[in-house]
Amino acid sequence: MPYHEFDCSKCLPERKKHAVTKGTGDNLATALPLGYLNTIPGSISERGCAYCGAKHVIGTPMKDVIHMSHGPVGCTYDTWQTKRYISDNNNFQLKYTFATDVREKHIVFGAEGLLKQNIIEAFKACPDIKRMTIYQTCATALIGDDINAVAAEVMEEMPDVDIFTCNSPGFGGPSQSGGHHKINIAWINDKVGNVEPEITSDYVINYVGEYNIQGDQEVMLDYFTRMGIQVLSTFTGNGTYDGLRAMHRAHLNVLECARSAEYICNELRVRYGIPRLDIDGFGFEPLSQSLRKIGMFFGIEDRAEKIIAEETARWKPELDWYKERLKGKKVCLWPGGSKLWHWAHAIEEEMGVKVVSVYTKFGHQGDMEKGIARCGEDALAIDDPNELEGLEALEKLQPDIIFTGKRPGEVAKKVRVPYLNAHAYHNGPYKGFEGWVRFARDIYNGIYSPMHQLSGLDISKDEIPTDRGFVTQRMLSDAKLPEEIAKSESLRRYTGKDDIIADLRKKNPPYFTPIVKAEAAE
Amino acid sequence: MNCQFKPKDRIGTINPIFTCQPAGAQYASIGIKDCIGIVHGGQGCVMFVRLLISQHLKESFEIASSSVHEDGAVFGALDRVEEAVDVLLMRYPHVKVVPIITTCSTEVIGDDVDGVVTKLQEELLDVKYPDREVHLIPIHCPSFVGSMVTGYDVAVRDFVKHFSKKDKPSLKINLITGWVNPGDVKELKHLLAEMQVEANVLFEIESFDSPLMPDKSAVSHGSTTIAELTATADAQGTIALNRYEGGQAATWLQTRWDVPAVIGPTPIGIRNTDTFLRNVNDMTGKPIPESLVKERGVALDAITDLAHMFLADKKVAIYGNPDLVLGLAEYCLDLGMKPVLLLLGDENAGYEKDPRIAAIKENVDYPMEIITNADLFELEDRIKNGLELDLILGHSKGRFVAIDYNIPMLRVGFPTYDRAGLYRYPVVGYAGATWLAEQMANTLFNDMEVKKNREWILNVW
Repeated sequence: MPYHEFDCSKCLPERKKHAVTKGTGDNLATALPLGYLNTIPGSISERGCAYCGAKHVIGTPMKDVIHMSHGPVGCTYDTWQTKRYISDNNNFQLKYTFATDVREKHIVFGAEGLLKQNIIEAFKACPDIKRMTIYQTCATALIGDDINAVAAEVMEEMPDVDIFTCNSPGFGGPSQSGGHHKINIAWINDKVGNVEPEITSDYVINYVGEYNIQGDQEVMLDYFTRMGIQVLSTFTGNGTYDGLRAMHRAHLNVLECARSAEYICNELRVRYGIPRLDIDGFGFEPLSQSLRKIGMFFGIEDRAEKIIAEETARWKPELDWYKERLKGKKVCLWPGGSKLWHWAHAIEEEMGVKVVSVYTKFGHQGDMEKGIARCGEDALAIDDPNELEGLEALEKLQPDIIFTGKRPGEVAKKVRVPYLNAHAYHNGPYKGFEGWVRFARDIYNGIYSPMHQLSGLDISKDEIPTDRGFVTQRMLSDAKLPEEIAKSESLRRYTGKDDIIADLRKKNPPYFTPIVKAEAAE
Repeated sequence: MNCQFKPKDRIGTINPIFTCQPAGAQYASIGIKDCIGIVHGGQGCVMFVRLLISQHLKESFEIASSSVHEDGAVFGALDRVEEAVDVLLMRYPHVKVVPIITTCSTEVIGDDVDGVVTKLQEELLDVKYPDREVHLIPIHCPSFVGSMVTGYDVAVRDFVKHFSKKDKPSLKINLITGWVNPGDVKELKHLLAEMQVEANVLFEIESFDSPLMPDKSAVSHGSTTIAELTATADAQGTIALNRYEGGQAATWLQTRWDVPAVIGPTPIGIRNTDTFLRNVNDMTGKPIPESLVKERGVALDAITDLAHMFLADKKVAIYGNPDLVLGLAEYCLDLGMKPVLLLLGDENAGYEKDPRIAAIKENVDYPMEIITNADLFELEDRIKNGLELDLILGHSKGRFVAIDYNIPMLRVGFPTYDRAGLYRYPVVGYAGATWLAEQMANTLFNDMEVKKNREWILNVW
């Protein structure tokens, strides 16, 4: 294996097998780091906990639910207002978070009574909301509170409410990924099959592993609806609690983020015989292939092709404007889990950048397999990176931009590498055809910020150009472009609006009439 | 009495005002030079606090985790602390101070962190790092006790307890700032410099606002040294500006080393800054110089253009860290405003005896509430039920209350991630008094224009 040993980690021999450099001719059989093992204490890893994996990543995007954490307030506070998973019900799930506020006396005497009071109180405070998820935390798991029993008792007393319980305390596993798994399994065990949906189309899917970051889900939902497909539920972005209880009636599970949600798809296949189709909403080609695959499954390829043709014609000239200017730019693709393989190949092919490194905080070896398979030669692949390794990699690779989280982005800033938020995006959504152009635009604006150029100058010793009061991004990006491209009439910069989700929401309701019925009526 | 002082009625918390104890200890730890803390618990207890701090300051800070997994929770996780200390020391050769901050999980399972520190001293530090100065400091922060405010208070006390040692008397004073911003520390140091007073500043966090350098060398970190912490025992006296964030450390220094302590007031507003300077004068004998008389005059000149014309009678709700909230409330009263609701996000037995709360209860002549153990739903619920407000003062976590109910809000406190650069400006001192009055006014002006509420008033001013 072409393992990469970081200088800063020479004293930690076990780290050596967690990074590889993909050489010429290497594939995932010959270049694959270890993954998803216990974190080395004190290494300043970037991993989170199983509670946040369950509550923060998967649970909370459900929009019509009281999300209550059973524990001290910290877990709730810390996982509140750090994400951009919006919803079309005025963002209830972003705005409200609930903690049972466990204190020392409860640790000593138990907190089940406290939990029950909290549940009743929360439903009273939010009279329009009739659904709740209760998340176990480290403290209440360790004292052995039976949250299931309390939930059952309340449901008995309050027949109009429904409560889901998620037992995923923070210490459960090496990273947030343990929590993804637990909440997937708990949901199918406890809630799927409890609600019978109204079926309005011949083509019915669940959209799984999609969290509606800045409206991603709503963009994709638009395509599915234009194909006449009924989306029973989204797991979980912009999803409803009762919609997700009806998952068993879909004909197909369309899976986006396999890292966080393949578990429920696999169980739906085993228990209800619903096939799983992995798709990809990022990138013109992967997205087109995805819509085609769904079309083929239902025998409605023509509807997919119509959308692909329309959207490509509208947005490809804009994507290509950026591609010409991003060619060869070096990118560190350092997300949490699945984006390393969702994006690696697609950004190289469609934006012309070169992915010089991929990493994953909580991905499993399967994610690395896909990531390695999809990234180019010489890419440095790192599992569970830590602060010093990240800095060493940035120094060695000298990327033009890095896609990562907010805090690591601040680290990159200090070594003069601009960052894009890979988890929450800058000016998303990034899914869909237009979204992909918005991503390209954010990358372009990051790399060619005139400010970024200025930050490299040392005014005490460098030559300071005094002949200009400004430069534009174009002056930087087009300096070395062939004239026919720089002045091309067929390419253009992004022309969309600031907020593209507001218009999508206005398409509702006539827009949601299934095409299949409309055709039948004709 | 017009002012009601009581805990909130509900038992649970909807939209908390504070996070838990370990966050406070972590915020204190990054103020010390060559210090990287290890939080003993699940990884989220660090990862999210680092994110929170980086959201507020737009910088990244190094804090480690002992990464307790399931086996540790069942069988005990002290081996994770032992490994974490060694890994950290191996890879960060500059690190000298390692607070070991416990969390709810490791307090519940009863890990003996104090014992493991003794063990590590003998078996690791003396053996593997005999020539290196390393301080391992247990800090107990069960999340089910207190709040991030008490966590900060406990950590400052424990750092001082660990390091302070008598040598020879010094003319310096100890300035314990409480949980503040880089801009506050800059202003406080400026005031002391004008008074020609030297101080051990706990903590020197002006450097949190670090540059982006062409040679990529800058790192954001506090710069209070071990020498300064040690010398706290020799100081002429301690001024702890915040009763609940550093008060314990000041009291401890007085009890253990006979260093006289003055606790409070939080120098927010003209009056409290005056008192602070008088306290410095009393402690050091250094006169208040003409330069500060002038600075005070500049501030009053600016504030006089605003107070009785625009700010008087405006009804304000304030939430956040208790010393900040009470300091702001006092200043608002001095400005002629009406703080009608103060929300303190925890239950601290000290609130009952706080002279500021007693004075407010005694003197306000309009209906007012001070709610302890409060959450942000207390604010929202009152607005829904008819509480009229002209202004909210508080941190970013309450942003949706302001947005959804169209109430102008000035971000103040921690965290203020939804506004640019606020950590750079002081709320303390004369500069802070000016900044607060002007920002409150501008926030109201902007709201008048957005709502077309007598927006023509500012045609002439």
